[in-house]
Amino acid sequence: MRSLLLAVLAAYVVSAIHAVLAFLNKRRALQRVSEWAMGIGFVMHTAALIADWAIDGHYPLFYRRETLSFLAWTLVASYALVLYRYRARPLGAVTLPLVSLLVFLAIIIGAAAPDQAEASIRSATWLFPVHTTLLLFAYAAFFVVFLASIMYLLQERELKLKTFSAIFHRLPSLTTVNEIATSSAAIGLTLLTVGIATGMVWASSRDGRVWHNDPKEIFAVLTWLLYLLLILYRSSSSWRGRKAAWIGVAGFALVLITFFGARLMGGYHVFG
Amino acid sequence: MSIVLIGINHKSAPVEVREQLAFSDEACTAGLRTLVDGEIVKEGLIVSTCNRVEVLTATTQERLNETFERVNQFLEQTDKLTASAIQPHLYQHTDDAAIRHIFRVTSSLDSMVVGEPQVLGQVRRAYSIALEAGTAGRVLNRLVHHAFRVAKRVRTETGIGANAVSISYMAVELGKKIFNSLAGHTALLVGAGEMAELSARHLVNAGVSRVLLANRTADRAAQLAAELGGETVKFEALPQYLPEADIIICSTAADGYLITEQMARDSLSKRRNRPAFFIDISVPRNIDPAVGKIPNVFLFDIDDLESVISSNIREREREAERAELIVESEIMQFQQTLRVLDIGPTIGALRNKLQNVARSELLRQRNRLGPLTAEQEAAVEALLLSTVNKISHPLLSHMRRSYDASDAEAIQAWRDIFGLEE
Repeated sequence: MRSLLLAVLAAYVVSAIHAVLAFLNKRRALQRVSEWAMGIGFVMHTAALIADWAIDGHYPLFYRRETLSFLAWTLVASYALVLYRYRARPLGAVTLPLVSLLVFLAIIIGAAAPDQAEASIRSATWLFPVHTTLLLFAYAAFFVVFLASIMYLLQERELKLKTFSAIFHRLPSLTTVNEIATSSAAIGLTLLTVGIATGMVWASSRDGRVWHNDPKEIFAVLTWLLYLLLILYRSSSSWRGRKAAWIGVAGFALVLITFFGARLMGGYHVFG
Repeated sequence: MSIVLIGINHKSAPVEVREQLAFSDEACTAGLRTLVDGEIVKEGLIVSTCNRVEVLTATTQERLNETFERVNQFLEQTDKLTASAIQPHLYQHTDDAAIRHIFRVTSSLDSMVVGEPQVLGQVRRAYSIALEAGTAGRVLNRLVHHAFRVAKRVRTETGIGANAVSISYMAVELGKKIFNSLAGHTALLVGAGEMAELSARHLVNAGVSRVLLANRTADRAAQLAAELGGETVKFEALPQYLPEADIIICSTAADGYLITEQMARDSLSKRRNRPAFFIDISVPRNIDPAVGKIPNVFLFDIDDLESVISSNIREREREAERAELIVESEIMQFQQTLRVLDIGPTIGALRNKLQNVARSELLRQRNRLGPLTAEQEAAVEALLLSTVNKISHPLLSHMRRSYDASDAEAIQAWRDIFGLEE
């Protein structure tokens, strides 16, 4: 599957380069190339994941390389949705390079030394893949919230200061980024809630305990609380600008700690 | 083939001179018909706008000087001033310089406000007049179409037309930046000055759904409201209507703040925090500057707008430098086109000459062939012609190469060998 993944990487790199150039030069033709390359990459990526699943006989979301690849896949899917719904092209200039990096890492990590995930594979029922898939999609949604929030903050600041940088005119309008952040946060929180719930059900059926006092669990709950706060805050008025955007940024920092940091602190959750 | 351009623009002449030379559409048509005689001036086109009059002509290399004379004479006759008054303001360009000039004009690099889009339409109009008058031919057709292509390239590949450079358009641009689309949004004009009116027109064109007008003298407001399809509101009822407005433009002569911080805060909480965009183009200011500090409120006063505009103009000028590079590379391309244009008749003449030789030989020897069916006759002729074409093909392609390389000696040699006149 390595060669297919290399082709995926090539498509994403082409897409990323064109997205960045399109952002800098405002060229429509470049944007089209970027979107086509992304589409082709995504189709091949989907095929690679399915092939992985069929060949290895387990859901392709256990090992670290699989997680990275899968995360890249969810990011592309999320960006494609935002693109379809809001035409917010500048998001691609950040998302696609990140996606390329994730796929690249997935390739170089390769099938090296089987990690601690072995145990999970053996004990995994169907609930476990649901749990992890939902959470990865939630993280991707929160990444979109993060980017939209950054774009909001940049533009709001420039509008207040009345001095506009070169990229100001290339970003989507305040209303657009505000809507993207609001709806992505709602989607992300829903996925996170269901993801955590399935994790709990799976854990209780496996060893009868719902809570393990594991760092990842603690941070996940903190993340959940913060995004709940964000949603409540946003819905208490028809428009929440800067403060909501800052919560969107802070929330993503917490997501990163949950996803990568918790691993360093050890514990029950073994991958990520 | 030579291109000659003689003209006058906002840089070379003051308006008093330019207005004496301006052509109406009818005058353009009539003028073109007298100017283009087919002998000296082969093709012609006149661009006449409030900022410029350009006479663009195509002629042959040999008659370049006569063309200059003729166009100058033509302009002097048109001019309502004396000949000596206009002469010092005219600029004259030939070939590359003329091509460069028309490319720059069409791309709006030569405009008073660099990047303004109207000039392209004006050149288009001038071209259709020349087409109707029958004075745009082989060369000018290509030149003008090429100029349109350059203008399009410049517009899409540089930011020359991006970012507003007028206060009235600034309201639209910033409004879109905040609200994305202006459709479904409401604009409130406080005071019905000229600038406010212009901004309101732009906003309506850009899709604003509802316009409210508040003016101290109801007459003026009612009149403007009728024109814009808006509603008038009582000046005293301002606080009541403020929450309904997304874009508020203030331009009254009032001495003091009409919109205070408290009013804006109240309005915003009634709007459930939806953002509001205030524009204050009055001096002294009508909106308390503290309004701009409220979250989700964006306030621009006249100085803010002016400073954004001047930075946008600087940005356009930077982009114009990139545009000049595009123009230069397109000039080279167009020269290539011109060269092919020029070689066309030569090659055609040569081919005809050789084919005529074949035909006349066939005629001379026809009796010797005896009776032939029509098919056989056609076959013999086709045989001769294709032999001639096959033999002349490498010759012709070699000739084309000489033209591409602008090898004047070789070109002259070809002409001498086959006894071709131009």
